[in-house]
Amino acid sequence: MEILRIEGLSKIFGSGHLEVRALEDINLSVSEGDLVALLGPSGSGKTTLLLCISLILDPTGGKIVFDGQTIFQKNGWAGVDMRRLRREKIGFIFQSHNLIPFLTARQNVLLPLSLVGLKGEKAESRVRELLEQMEIADRADYLPALLSGGEQQRVAIARALANNAKLILADEPTASLDTARGVKVMGLLKKIAKENQSAVIAVSHDERMIEGFDYVYRLKDGRIVGEKTNSTLN
Amino acid sequence: MDLAIYDLKLHRGRFIATVIGVGLLFTIVLAMNGLYRGNIQEGLALIKATNPDLWVVERYRGGPFNEQSTLPEFYHYSVKAMPGVEKASPFIYYTVERQIEGKSRHFSIVGFDVFGGLGGPQKIYAGRNIEQAHYEMVAHQKLGLRLGDRIPLGLHTYTVVGLTKEAVSSDGEALVYLSLPDAQEVLYQRDNEAVRDQRERLLRTLSGQSYLSPSQAEKLLPKLQPDTHIINAILVRLKPGINRAEVVRGIEKWLYLSAFSTEEELQLMLKGRLASMTKQLLLFRTLLLIISVIIVSLVIYTFTMEKIRSIAVMKLIGAPNWVIIRMVMEQSLLLTIGAFLFGLALIHNTYQLFPKTLLIAPGDDLFTFMVAFAGGILASILGLWHALKTQPAMALGD
Repeated sequence: MEILRIEGLSKIFGSGHLEVRALEDINLSVSEGDLVALLGPSGSGKTTLLLCISLILDPTGGKIVFDGQTIFQKNGWAGVDMRRLRREKIGFIFQSHNLIPFLTARQNVLLPLSLVGLKGEKAESRVRELLEQMEIADRADYLPALLSGGEQQRVAIARALANNAKLILADEPTASLDTARGVKVMGLLKKIAKENQSAVIAVSHDERMIEGFDYVYRLKDGRIVGEKTNSTLN
Repeated sequence: MDLAIYDLKLHRGRFIATVIGVGLLFTIVLAMNGLYRGNIQEGLALIKATNPDLWVVERYRGGPFNEQSTLPEFYHYSVKAMPGVEKASPFIYYTVERQIEGKSRHFSIVGFDVFGGLGGPQKIYAGRNIEQAHYEMVAHQKLGLRLGDRIPLGLHTYTVVGLTKEAVSSDGEALVYLSLPDAQEVLYQRDNEAVRDQRERLLRTLSGQSYLSPSQAEKLLPKLQPDTHIINAILVRLKPGINRAEVVRGIEKWLYLSAFSTEEELQLMLKGRLASMTKQLLLFRTLLLIISVIIVSLVIYTFTMEKIRSIAVMKLIGAPNWVIIRMVMEQSLLLTIGAFLFGLALIHNTYQLFPKTLLIAPGDDLFTFMVAFAGGILASILGLWHALKTQPAMALGD
């Protein structure tokens, strides 16, 4: 089932001679369980595209269809509660983990659950399950500052998965990790996509990390200049 | 999930230090409240305790407390003779600084007619009232005297026969009650050297007049000695059922004096001597509250700025604004309430140690708390404004 479809998406910053075309005529489609990588050098538009998909940056034109509902078209956002959509259907993984520093690992994973009103034993059991799945249950009561980079990223992944997100957006999830830990994190993302049937869109600049991804889109100057599928990659 | 509490747990050292710092400011605000109340209570205490029907003072003077008033002592006979007056007693009040038990002490003396006159101490908690015409005193407990202590004042020594703790002087100093002649003597009687000097001076002045022979000047001298039978007010008790306004009109018209009821006397003090201090204290309290709000505001702003990336993450993962508002406001209120409670506890345990009387009133505490609470909400606005305009995109990138 298709989770995300983007048609002719564009984003222009500024106007006149200061105009910058950050995205131009972007088209892509992501279905349940898909692993999608966005590759490109700095300034190619990867993060801008991720911000548009995250519903926090207004595109200039085009259309976004999320989970069967048109949420953006040329007239703007189609009256959707974007924060609600993000907390219920989208999970985020960041380059610098971005765990809340004053919450323990367990509380960080609990946070998105409490935002959707899930409390008590049900929520606690979900947190335990996720931390065990990420092999970090023994560090549940540690503050992020006491966890290693790899451990923090695993907690961040658990947080992204807490609400059974249909779409996981990962912004350079391996950038602050060494190669071994990066490969392990990417392995986790692949496992999540297949087991949870969540679509994963990961921005990366490191081609070694996207091995096994279903789709790879290369961006340059705001345009998709290359597209490969799993079959063509292999 | 109480994010504010978790954050404060992590920064508990800074939080406690801020609570203590702002709490000390609140202590000063609450002390000012107590000082304000104490100032009014003390300023009015003697008037309330004396409570005659009328205070008769020098014409056009708001005396004897708000302004100096001087009357010849015998005027009280004239006042006594006015229709409707049951009793009229001379009253003298002044402040002195004298050595008591080797220490320099500042206190006020009340002189009254000890034989049934008005103006004496109302409640004596130890000993008795003055019963002799001379050399007995009733002292306020603030002076730390004991019954039977013998205190030299001026040329004579006075025995403490009673102790009181109700009224104090309008400056909050201890009161000493003496018989009227004793009080006049303590105030006006000079030592022999000073008397001799003055006589010499007068004699030289009189001898210099061509129409007076030296023997005539010598004879005139006693007549020119300063009068020590001076009082500050006459306290009046009216006959039952008498119209006070008519008596006042009579005194003002026929005796050329001014007369005030006790209520008017209280108002004279409130609008006169006590007013400037009251305004001053109000200004200090306002300034300190503003400073407290600014400090809380800056601390909360700093707390919020430190969490700005976490706030961006929360927004990105879909946290509604109320979650963020609650977090910032809760911290601000916890800080304000914590500081207020610290200040309240401190002042309630130390107010007896202040040199001036602090009258701690629950109403004032409540009002200050409400102002502080509103200030806490106000203080969170700067942090809230910053938190709410934070873009979730800030969470992306390194």
